[in-house]
Amino acid sequence: MGFWWVFTRLGRALLTAWGIASAIFLTVHLLPASADEFTLGEPNELGSAASLRTSASRQAAQQALRHRLGLDEPVFYLTRTTGPPVRWQWHGRHNQYHHWLSLLLHGNLGYSYRTSQPVAALLGAALVYTTPLMALASTLATGLAIWLALGLVNSPTAPRRWQTVVRTLLTGIQALPLFSLSLALLLLLANRDLLNVLPADGMGADYPPLGSMAWVVSYGTHLVLPLLSLVLAVLPQLTLPLEAALRQELRADYASTARAKGLTSWQVAYRHALPNALLPLLTTFTGLLPTMVAGTVVVEVLFALPGMGRLLAGAAATHDYPLVIASVLLTAAARMLALLLADILYFWTDPRLRPS
Amino acid sequence: MRYLWFGSYSLALLLSACSSPANRQAGDPIRIRWARDPETLDPLVQPNQNTVEAINLLHLGLLQLNFQTSEYDPALAEALPAVQLLGDSLTQLDYHLRAAATWDDGHPVLATDVNFTLKLLNCPGLPSEGVRSQFGFIQQLQLDPTDPRHFKLVCQGQAPEYPWESGDFPILPEATLDPTHSLRQFSLASLQQAAKTPPTVLLAFAKRYQTLSQGYYPNRVPGCGPYRLAGWQPNRSLTFERKATWWADRLRPAPLVLQAHPKIIKYVILPDDGAAMLALRRHELDVYPAMQARAFQRLKALPFAQQELAFYSSASYDLLYAGFNTRRPTLRDKLTRQALSCLFDPAGLLAGTQLGQGQRTVGLLPPSSPFYNDSLPLPTYDPACAAQLLRRAGWQLVAGGWRRPPAQRLVLSLRYRANDETFETVALQFRAAAAKLDIPVELRPTEATTLNHTLHAGDFDVFVRILKGSPSGFNFAPILHSRAVREGNFVGYTSPTTDSLLEAIVAAGPPARKRQLLRKFQVLLREESPLLPLFFMSYRLAADRHLSHLLPSGLKPGYSAAAIISSDGLPAAPH
Repeated sequence: MGFWWVFTRLGRALLTAWGIASAIFLTVHLLPASADEFTLGEPNELGSAASLRTSASRQAAQQALRHRLGLDEPVFYLTRTTGPPVRWQWHGRHNQYHHWLSLLLHGNLGYSYRTSQPVAALLGAALVYTTPLMALASTLATGLAIWLALGLVNSPTAPRRWQTVVRTLLTGIQALPLFSLSLALLLLLANRDLLNVLPADGMGADYPPLGSMAWVVSYGTHLVLPLLSLVLAVLPQLTLPLEAALRQELRADYASTARAKGLTSWQVAYRHALPNALLPLLTTFTGLLPTMVAGTVVVEVLFALPGMGRLLAGAAATHDYPLVIASVLLTAAARMLALLLADILYFWTDPRLRPS
Repeated sequence: MRYLWFGSYSLALLLSACSSPANRQAGDPIRIRWARDPETLDPLVQPNQNTVEAINLLHLGLLQLNFQTSEYDPALAEALPAVQLLGDSLTQLDYHLRAAATWDDGHPVLATDVNFTLKLLNCPGLPSEGVRSQFGFIQQLQLDPTDPRHFKLVCQGQAPEYPWESGDFPILPEATLDPTHSLRQFSLASLQQAAKTPPTVLLAFAKRYQTLSQGYYPNRVPGCGPYRLAGWQPNRSLTFERKATWWADRLRPAPLVLQAHPKIIKYVILPDDGAAMLALRRHELDVYPAMQARAFQRLKALPFAQQELAFYSSASYDLLYAGFNTRRPTLRDKLTRQALSCLFDPAGLLAGTQLGQGQRTVGLLPPSSPFYNDSLPLPTYDPACAAQLLRRAGWQLVAGGWRRPPAQRLVLSLRYRANDETFETVALQFRAAAAKLDIPVELRPTEATTLNHTLHAGDFDVFVRILKGSPSGFNFAPILHSRAVREGNFVGYTSPTTDSLLEAIVAAGPPARKRQLLRKFQVLLREESPLLPLFFMSYRLAADRHLSHLLPSGLKPGYSAAAIISSDGLPAAPH
């Protein structure tokens, strides 16, 4: 596995991300509802006495807006006239796709239709919340999954009671949709009628001075619920397969040999079985990486986190295409990189899989 | 395991101590729930209601809405403008600005600032297309060379609503935004025409304006409103701080629209209704506006709520109504539309969806309006009458449904916004009522962003939606005039009689004449039934009991944040 292999895969990943973003770009422009309707806002339906003329003035406003946003240009290099007769028309470089691509190649993701802010700035502001939270949640969930799986397989004879309870709980949590899980946690832990121990106002608005211990505690308290939701949501899907894989590895001959040599069951599981058991689950672990840039809409809405999921959902609802396309591009790139990382980890842990 | 329990218990105690907020203390900010971010604070853009609310704290218009009377009161203007009709197509509005009005830097607010703002709204290259179309009727501003605070607005057309509609935009300072007076060389009319090929001077000005990024850094431009932005964490919170000295503080007596009591107003953005309700109960919020009916009732019923919270409900101008596609051959005749109107149950729907909080109506005006036609009966659910009307319309009930020669079959599709409990209930009630008469109804819930497009395209038989009105909203042309068929006239209803009546209503000056025309319009609407008004919705508001003078109103946002008076440390005010 050399530099060129990684370079080629990286190039291929970026090409795939670009292909996905291009497909989204062309698809969103086929939607019946135009972006300018949402950017211009709802017309004042009954209030204006001047409304007898609004038909013309609104059309003029729409035209001006479409011109400012570049929506009056053709979508692609080649378009088909509605006809009859149906004809294909070549537009050269004067089209929306070419403009978007040129900006992209210069590192510019475009500008939001609704606020005219650079898309990169909006994504950056959202990633500041999403990436650390998701990274922390993924790390905690992974660590906890390994610890739980090792604990669950560590029973010399019959399963202990706590192991049965944990397994049942994990299976139950896995059956719950994320929304129900998060809402249940909120209602349980931030409710005057039950446990009134955590805040319900999302990330809150009143914080002590930045950097002080009180700030850390206050910030940490506000993070508990979203973090707990995210960890619990992925914990069963990491722990249960890992436990099954560990059990299978512990039945292998090399594990029996290790036990015969006098190693404790914990040492056998941790030192010998775990590295092998983790192999089939590498894709699952690296699959958590894209969520670090994509976020989770449900958790972000419920706990008022200003992250990527909310940004993307809001942009999609208001047809803010530059923002939608940039978010998709970013998420697709992260997904491709996660797959590449999974491959590299496989090759690193099992040299037999390396390309010749 | 013992350590685990001890750790958990300590953690719970710590969290509880850190997170349980105490009741309001003296000087605490007023924390108001918003469901979404304002996105920008640029007065030219105003993409949503929250932006409008925030901008009204930073800037002032000539007139401001008085939430107590639901009328416009003078703000920067000394009084409502004097109106003079010029010929039969123009209106002249005479304004005087208050002598006390100043910007934050101490400079007076002058007529040249108003002139500049109007030109700014119409300057090509700026993202002001929405606002521009709203104030496009103002054609000229005439300055008075002898009085820098006196000016006249010349408006195209004549309408009784012009005096207050002409003053509802934030005035911005010319000295900061255009120090070189580059817009003075252009007339307002020439700017309105310059959209296609704007001169370089205008493009340069537009670029300069945008580099100020006023939408995100509003403090770069001095305002004349009572607050300044103290902090904005996008999608989390906005904090506004009362200016220590504000020009309107010197006015005696202070008009209601120029009162600003809270020292700090904090808008907390909580998208989820359930989380917002928990936050209100935990005193992490003080004001929860636009509450859903069920949540409002549930909260009101809680034992602690009556001691800690105050509840307000105001009749709004938002009307839930059903519309019929009059372009469809089956719905072209009024008898069929009248029959289908009888299958909606406004009383039951009001009780079922709003728990009775709202007002039934005979037409498009609320019962509180002086022009309401109370001689008309309220629409009611009457399937027997519906069947009778269908027969009178020529329909015959044969095997498989209602048919009419030559080959018409009464089968309906009903569109409404998806994921909305109220619309879904209306749709299900109508379908159930229609099914009893053997009229098949296909429900087509449509995603919000494509619903308008679908209605414009006429791809429906019946729709249910909300019509946003206002106390002065007597202009029904946008939804029923034949010229609005490609716009807001989704039902496609066209009639020369209705057109002339709608135009006469808009132009009518004396209230007696207006009353006569509006009563006639309500009768006509009932007779023709292109749409069926179901009921006016209510705005519900819950607030901490220590807050008073919220001025709950049926107008958005349903309260006045600047008017709120806090009695922290004192016994709760009776409500």
